[in-house]
Amino acid sequence: MKKWALTILLLAGCAPEHDGTVILETADPDAVQLDGKHDGFAEKIKKEADSIETIYDTAVIKGKDQLLVAYKVRHLDRFNMKEIEKDLDKRIQEMESTEEVVVSSDYKIFLEAVRLKEDMEAGHLTEEEANKRLSEIIKLKEEMA
Amino acid sequence: MKPENYKKLASKYEPKKPVLKNCIRAFWTGGLVCIIGQAVSYFFIFFFNFTEQTVGNPTVAFMIFLSMLLTGFGVYDRLGQFAGAGSAVPVTGFGNAVISAAIEHRSEGFVLGVGGNMFKLAGSVILFGVFSAFIVALIKSVF
Repeated sequence: MKKWALTILLLAGCAPEHDGTVILETADPDAVQLDGKHDGFAEKIKKEADSIETIYDTAVIKGKDQLLVAYKVRHLDRFNMKEIEKDLDKRIQEMESTEEVVVSSDYKIFLEAVRLKEDMEAGHLTEEEANKRLSEIIKLKEEMA
Repeated sequence: MKPENYKKLASKYEPKKPVLKNCIRAFWTGGLVCIIGQAVSYFFIFFFNFTEQTVGNPTVAFMIFLSMLLTGFGVYDRLGQFAGAGSAVPVTGFGNAVISAAIEHRSEGFVLGVGGNMFKLAGSVILFGVFSAFIVALIKSVF
């Protein structure tokens, strides 16, 4: 009986999450633009980041003067985290971005970016509030251990 | 009989140590402790404002506190007997070392017994931890 209970408990862990932000699975959220423009620049950045082989999931949020790119790196490639960050940062700078660019592989930042996007889609936030939340996420990223 | 000869003689009759079995037990138990630690850190990331950069401290504090409680309840000692290094090497082993020494010496008084002996085992961990951190910081600042 105990064995069955344990098996059921372990299998329950395999159930899919509903918010699409599971740890290992790909969430692949659409890029969000909060600057009022509809030039598809955030989407371009997302495509560029996705083209890097070692990255498997990207969340891009473009605010009024800030651009956040959160990404997940394949497990074994996490040894080259700094090189990947440098490469991504360079590629974005080459796209003539004038905003303050923040790239992060931190899971929390990714999670918060997806939550912001979902709240925007659900209509819980105005553009101004979303920009404020974006600044808070970037502030969180800059906090050191 | 010389001590060396006695050792040789005794080793003939000693039962063989199940090294492979012990290694497998240590591997699985140590891995399980790490999985729990990973789950705790994801919990802090998911529900609180901790990033991967900052989540280390609360996770370590929680794991040490958990192992201290389990030592007090007598569960961690059994785990230690079963897994050996698998339960001693992760950070939970530190909590176990502190509390087991405190429990052992509580009959000698609160100050000289518990206070004086609490870090008898864990003291070396703190000392070498601080010393190696100092060396690493020194290397990092030079290069």
